[in-house]
Amino acid sequence: MEFDLEKLKKRPSYPFETIAVAVAFSPRLEGVVGEAWRLSKVFGAKLLLMHIGDRTRNKEDKLNNLLEKLKVDEQQVRIIWNEGNAVDTLLQLCKLHVVDLLVLGALRKENMLNFYLGSLARNISRRAKCSVLLLTEPDPAGTRYKKIMVSGVENPKTIHTINTAIYFAEHVKAKEITVATEVHHPGLAMTAGDNTAPEASKMKKEMKEEELNKVHEMVESCRKHGDIEICEKVIQGKPGYAIRQYATSKKADLLVINSPEGKLGIFDRIFTHDMEYILEDLPCNVLIVHSRVTTE
Amino acid sequence: MIKKLTHDDLIVLLLAISTMLITSRILAELGKKLKLPVVMGELLVGIALGPTVLGMLSPEFFNWLFPFTSNTNVSIALDGIFQLSVVMLLFVAGLEVQLPMVLRQGRAAIVTGLSSMIIPFFTGYAVAWFFPEVFGVVAESQYHFLFSLFLGTALSISALPVIARILMDMNLFKTNIGMVIIASAMFNDLVGWLFFSLILSMSGHGQNHFGLGYTILYILGFGIFMLTIGRIILNRVLPWVQTKLSWPGGVLAMCLGLCLLCAAFTESIGLHAILGAFIAGIAIGDSVHLREQAREIIHQFVTNFFAPLFFVSIGLKVNFIENFDWLMVTIIMVLAFAGKVTGASAGAYLGGMSKRDSLAVGFGLNARGAMEIILGTLALNAGLITQPVFVALVIMALVTSLSSGPLMRRFVDT
Repeated sequence: MEFDLEKLKKRPSYPFETIAVAVAFSPRLEGVVGEAWRLSKVFGAKLLLMHIGDRTRNKEDKLNNLLEKLKVDEQQVRIIWNEGNAVDTLLQLCKLHVVDLLVLGALRKENMLNFYLGSLARNISRRAKCSVLLLTEPDPAGTRYKKIMVSGVENPKTIHTINTAIYFAEHVKAKEITVATEVHHPGLAMTAGDNTAPEASKMKKEMKEEELNKVHEMVESCRKHGDIEICEKVIQGKPGYAIRQYATSKKADLLVINSPEGKLGIFDRIFTHDMEYILEDLPCNVLIVHSRVTTE
Repeated sequence: MIKKLTHDDLIVLLLAISTMLITSRILAELGKKLKLPVVMGELLVGIALGPTVLGMLSPEFFNWLFPFTSNTNVSIALDGIFQLSVVMLLFVAGLEVQLPMVLRQGRAAIVTGLSSMIIPFFTGYAVAWFFPEVFGVVAESQYHFLFSLFLGTALSISALPVIARILMDMNLFKTNIGMVIIASAMFNDLVGWLFFSLILSMSGHGQNHFGLGYTILYILGFGIFMLTIGRIILNRVLPWVQTKLSWPGGVLAMCLGLCLLCAAFTESIGLHAILGAFIAGIAIGDSVHLREQAREIIHQFVTNFFAPLFFVSIGLKVNFIENFDWLMVTIIMVLAFAGKVTGASAGAYLGGMSKRDSLAVGFGLNARGAMEIILGTLALNAGLITQPVFVALVIMALVTSLSSGPLMRRFVDT
């Protein structure tokens, strides 16, 4: 499999011109393909259905029936059959076809063994060189995205992630985006005894205001967002875990995060990486934005 | 026959503890006005109440209030409290070591962490090995090798609490420099305390019956178990404890109980109790399920009760005037500054930082603070070092902590 690296280099994280969906013939196939088809219409993108495994008559019939049921325009869709290691092959196909968004169905929570060994959806999320949308409860009619939450972590990639979230929100007609940043100061609890109560509370307030200003500056420098209301929020806790809890408590429909800096491995699951807290227990659908502009 | 504290013993014990707590708090608050570290006030109280001042002015009153030599019952009770204090101090030090953060900071933190340990370690080791007589150690004696290892370790650790406070005051906590310093200090703490436990067990503490190979195996085995499987179990148990048991009583009992359990375990296998407490602290502190409020309660409890008792007790046992040796102090001070600043700065530079930022990292990591004093006290109790070396280490810890912030300021724009 050979691909044109020039096409991938510096390709922005949006617009979504090519959307791919991993077809696994699981009970949630209809939901995942239905969601991907709806998104491809919304974004005006090509849709690729990719199956890694044997190509059998039974599978072909099943897929054709499904496309018919979902009233999918066959001119807009291409089905790719391939064999090999599911994760590696899917990732290679994404590069080959310059996929902008890969849609995957994912269980909200994996059992401990699967989490450490790595399920297909999570393994792809850890290594993908394109944006990935993990759907926890795929709906054949398409999920309504009302509340979108974005991780406003301090990182050069975050601005692209917020812009991608705004682009996504505009197309799916979401009304509200919350950009939340996590405050975590390891080592600082040890200095707690050095302050009086008013000093400690003043210090906490100042730290929160400082973070809020940073988020505000980031949002101000983002693309125009029309009618979409953007809220800024500072939350206390470990990066990854805090936003997961916040997204759960606010019943967000979509959580948008940066892709990891490098490939995540088993070590990052044991000494939990920020993104692993989210993958460990998906709070809602998760969009992992891969911004090539700054990373490659 | 089982000995018990008598009515009079109990009064003396309670008076001794309350004197230490109240006077150290008053001096610590006064010191805060002058921007001096709390530990300095606690040490000064110990010196004032100990043989250096009170013991000279009124030996009878000193021996009545702190009867380390005249009353075995009170002496043992106080010793038990001091031992518990050091275990709790190492537990809270472990609570703030976050391995994922060290890994996340990447190359700069790992290279700085390694270099800021290796260079000071070999500087200390080499000087102690080639010039043992300077430190009062007989060449090629049983303790020559152990003392060399100890001095290397003592020069290579950093003091996370002091560093965290300095970075906070300088508004550098969340900057690249701040994160590299914090991650490297965590790395220094982890490796330093593991290595120090090994030295203590080699020195014969706890009647270690195992060979060096088994001792290393036990330290690594216990550390790896607690930081992998132990952490996974904790992450399952803590949410249950915090939601099903009364709060914060349930989580405090569980955390402190586990700390003492691990401390007892490491002590029982011939390693020091501090290792168990430190590792338990890392495993618990790393859990996202430990609420910030619970973490602060543990810190407040330990830093306001156990820490003053421990640091005051140092001055009660050592005469700082009699054991002050200016040559020793100068040598240890020069070694401490040269090794740490060179090592940490070189590491940061190799890790990709600019020259000025690297020097800021070097001076930041040079702060030794309370950690050095705890390390020195344990070494003194184990017979690894003499009182003059201990006094020099305490002075070095205070000077490096006080100078760290002002020296860092010369290299960063705040």
